Amino acid sequence: MRPATRLLIFTTSPLRGEAWRALLTRQPTLEVADVVSVIPGAADASSASDIPVVFVDMTLLDVDRVRQLRRGSPHAGLLFLVSSYELAQILPLLQAGATGFVDHNTDVADLARAIIAVGRGELVLPPRIAARALAALTRGDATPSADLVEPLTQREREVLGLLAQGLTNKDIAQELFVSVRTVEAHLRNVYGKLGVRSRTEAALWAVEHGISAGGEEGENR
Amino acid sequence: MTEDLVAEDAKDAAPVKTAVAVLGTLAEFHQEPIAFDLDALVDLVQQINPDLLCLDMTSEQWRARDFGDLPPEYREALLPLAYQTDIVVAPVGGDGPPPEPQAAGWRGMLIGLVRGLLGWLQKSAPGLDAINSGWRHDWANHLYDLTVKLGENDVRSAQATHRQRLIDNIVKTARRDPGARILVVVNVRDCHHIRPALRTCEEIEVRSYTEL
Repeated sequence: MRPATRLLIFTTSPLRGEAWRALLTRQPTLEVADVVSVIPGAADASSASDIPVVFVDMTLLDVDRVRQLRRGSPHAGLLFLVSSYELAQILPLLQAGATGFVDHNTDVADLARAIIAVGRGELVLPPRIAARALAALTRGDATPSADLVEPLTQREREVLGLLAQGLTNKDIAQELFVSVRTVEAHLRNVYGKLGVRSRTEAALWAVEHGISAGGEEGENR
Repeated sequence: MTEDLVAEDAKDAAPVKTAVAVLGTLAEFHQEPIAFDLDALVDLVQQINPDLLCLDMTSEQWRARDFGDLPPEYREALLPLAYQTDIVVAPVGGDGPPPEPQAAGWRGMLIGLVRGLLGWLQKSAPGLDAINSGWRHDWANHLYDLTVKLGENDVRSAQATHRQRLIDNIVKTARRDPGARILVVVNVRDCHHIRPALRTCEEIEVRSYTEL
């Protein structure tokens, strides 16, 4: 059995912090390591470094604090509770180091899934804005070369297309009725063939090259 | 899903057998008081932590997330568990469940009696192990077979067709993902038919659920 995903809850409201702790502690797949109201700085980094997820519930999300949070927890997945999935709100946070978003309509099971996914280094973006967010992220930046070490297989293109839609590995596995480990194996092959090092880069490549979920190039869904 | 894609998922995997365990439940009696609750099933499946969980439900039910007609152990235990973990659900029920055996006259009365006995087996079982091993497991199987024999012919053939569809879809799932650990949770009446059928498939190694 996979160990429970440990998370740090960051909120400026102690009452909300305790509410989150009470709620998330009840989830069998999660372990709440701590609730904090001060952004972990360099001095705290060693204690926070082994915690794979920081769940952020801040009333006012400003980019500087997100950058500070990223510096304090350089390897953690940063999951944000946002008031809406508007690109204008999400994009600056993504650029500052956020790796996932949930909104107030998310149910507990979906929140747990999102926490687990960002803890594994995945991007959690709402599918309807995933492609646009990734396209906006890559605007002006150099994207990985279109030259492939080896052509992608049909299944790899399909997995990549689903990745670019913002699906987590579990969602992709469920879509294709294969195990999560098989999806991870496909993604390793995809990264190697694209010459990219991360999920974000692979997703950007897919968006840039118009790979849709069906594995075909063309209009993004 | 095309055969090409199935073969592609299989391509990179080492030529290992796919481990499959079949767990039986007495589904329709969960509305009645039982000695153990569904948490025991959740705990067990969470401990086993299979890669894929084959359930007797249709693809349409899965796609529409229409779980209202499914038995409680699916609806209230296994599907919520799978949703929050890495367990991937594979619907293997084909067109849907076959009709329950029915008959007129004395045959119908006997079917009612036998179902009463099945209910007693469920209610008196101290835990899941008791339904999946030992005399209760065998008796449940014999009693279910008896209800089918007492029922109308068309029910008999519908049950056989449904069972074959379950087997075919489980094999397809295993072939799509070689080396995966697959747990099948179906009504106990199907266990005794599914296990031997899967043993004839050379890519599959049938294991006890305690050894998956």
